[in-house]
Amino acid sequence: MAVVDTPAEKRSGFFTGLADREEILAPAFLAPAVAYIILLVGVPVTLAIAFSVTDVTVGDTSLDFVGLANFRAVFQTPQFRRALVNSVVFTIAAQVIVIILANVLAVILAEDFRGKWLARFLIILPWATPISLGTIGWLWMLDSTLSPLDWVMVQLGLLGPGSLFGPSDHMNFLGKEFLAMASVTLVHIWRVLPLATVILVAGLTSIPNDLIDQAKVDGGSFMRILFRIKLPLILPIMAIALLFGIVFTFTDMTVVYVLTRGGPVYYTQVLPVWSFYTGINGGALAQGAAIALFLFPVLLAVAILMLQMARRMEVN
Amino acid sequence: MAVVETRDIKKHFQDVRAVDGVTLSIQQGEFLVILGPSGSGKTTLMRLIAGLETPTDGEILIGGQDVTDLPPRLRDIGMVFQSYALYPHMTVFDNIAFPLRASGSRSTEEVRQAVEWATGILDIQHLLERKPRQLSGGERQRVALSRALAKEPDVLLLDEPLSNLDAKLRASARDELQRFQRRLGITTIFVTHDQVEAMGLGDRIVVMSGGKVRQVGSPQQVYHDSADTFVATFLGSPGMNFIKRDQLLVGFRPEQFVPMATVQSENDLTVLPFRVGRVEYLGADKLIYGEVLDQGHETAIISRMSSEQTFWLEPGEVYDFAVQKQQLRFFDSETGERVAPVKT
Repeated sequence: MAVVDTPAEKRSGFFTGLADREEILAPAFLAPAVAYIILLVGVPVTLAIAFSVTDVTVGDTSLDFVGLANFRAVFQTPQFRRALVNSVVFTIAAQVIVIILANVLAVILAEDFRGKWLARFLIILPWATPISLGTIGWLWMLDSTLSPLDWVMVQLGLLGPGSLFGPSDHMNFLGKEFLAMASVTLVHIWRVLPLATVILVAGLTSIPNDLIDQAKVDGGSFMRILFRIKLPLILPIMAIALLFGIVFTFTDMTVVYVLTRGGPVYYTQVLPVWSFYTGINGGALAQGAAIALFLFPVLLAVAILMLQMARRMEVN
Repeated sequence: MAVVETRDIKKHFQDVRAVDGVTLSIQQGEFLVILGPSGSGKTTLMRLIAGLETPTDGEILIGGQDVTDLPPRLRDIGMVFQSYALYPHMTVFDNIAFPLRASGSRSTEEVRQAVEWATGILDIQHLLERKPRQLSGGERQRVALSRALAKEPDVLLLDEPLSNLDAKLRASARDELQRFQRRLGITTIFVTHDQVEAMGLGDRIVVMSGGKVRQVGSPQQVYHDSADTFVATFLGSPGMNFIKRDQLLVGFRPEQFVPMATVQSENDLTVLPFRVGRVEYLGADKLIYGEVLDQGHETAIISRMSSEQTFWLEPGEVYDFAVQKQQLRFFDSETGERVAPVKT
């Protein structure tokens, strides 16, 4: 009787054999992701939680348990409380405006018009710029003495003696409490708007043409079709854009650090920058960790919402 | 009175003449079917009537009014798309109420009554609270029809509304569609590539090809008196047989080409020798593929006969087949146009 090779015997090289065995292959492919998450997310978060309940400082690295003393201590400083409020205010203010502007831009960009590619390119540009460089650009734009915005306003007669915004030739954008807060919010909007717009354009163009044609035949005006058909249909996608925006703004340290360093006084302070100042510059690692952990509940909630959204979109 | 009129309407997309000079007039209460293969411009023509495309040239009138430059919402039309295009985030009630609310002139109570009326016609009152994704294909089609009817438009435009249904449902939906169109007397334009639908539904059929109207007529006219070889071959399955004689194409339908031995009346027959090839059994009917040997040429010809017909045909053998002379149709072999009968 002739010996018949089975296909498995034919190609039983060592690596090929391993690749055929799912119980080895699956862990092998998952390992890099698991290592990445443990080393870059798991370890730092655990360290932060551990630090926050001890008396560790840059000078004394022994970990002695002190309970919630750090949280109590940081909460009593006005800088921290202002930073907490600011983080929330900047995030909400920026996202409300971003969602409105992104919808307007997305509706425009979803249509066909001449020069559309140029408009798209210009809108995406802030997202392609390194955030620190972009913010330095804004720092110059908003400079207390050399601001080109000041110059433009003077030329338009909005600034200077006897004009709307007062006798000085300078707005001093970053030196006054309200203007500084508005400036920080503005730069956050400038930063997040491109991403939100691109996400919403994708959402709008995914609506079947038939639906829009049907709504036109059914007598829908532009506004009615926008608010009754298009926007409700892209609501889940809008939520994703919003959640991304919240994460980017709430955890951002660069804009405030470059633009105002939390000033004037501490009026534009935010949690990530304050955590950095306290923990790294001030050396109080434990208190810095405690401040940073105040970001945690918000980010957790956002993460859960995002996962739910993602799952609902899969179902539909 | 003509409810819808198109006057030499044209729509060109760059170099493509999707609709190339179509003049039609659709009467009050008429069921007009626009039939053509894909790419014939039939859907573009309907979209022009709906106002979803702007014509390159020509005029469109609805109810005697020139609507060429009006947007869809200012034309009094109802439309059902092939995909049904139900608004997925709205209940059935809100879907049907959308065109009523959009007009802005109806009270909440009037909207409710109109929805009730429109759903009553199609027997879907029990679905009002459902979302489209909870509906079957047949139910979706009814909801889409109800929505198109709710505001009692002048014209109902239907773009292949049956082609997403499975074959069994399609037959009953066709029957139902026609009965309710007759009952309401609503002027209806129905676009399809399916000749069975077109024959079964249309008062008149517009056969289109290459953006042009090839023929307008009753189902009998377009089938039995086809205006050219395109219409003659597009209609019927299989289409008309042709034999070339001098400058003419002589045409006859497969079911008119029968074995000489089975013909009862012997008056005015044209007899042709037919070499039988393959026999295809289709249930009620069978198709016989073969060649006619005529004036030294062999021409591929198909004969269609009832499966009840027991006359035995041996593949490879030559039999005498016959067509009644009055059933022969003559076409110009250059232009494909129908010409007057000639002596054969």
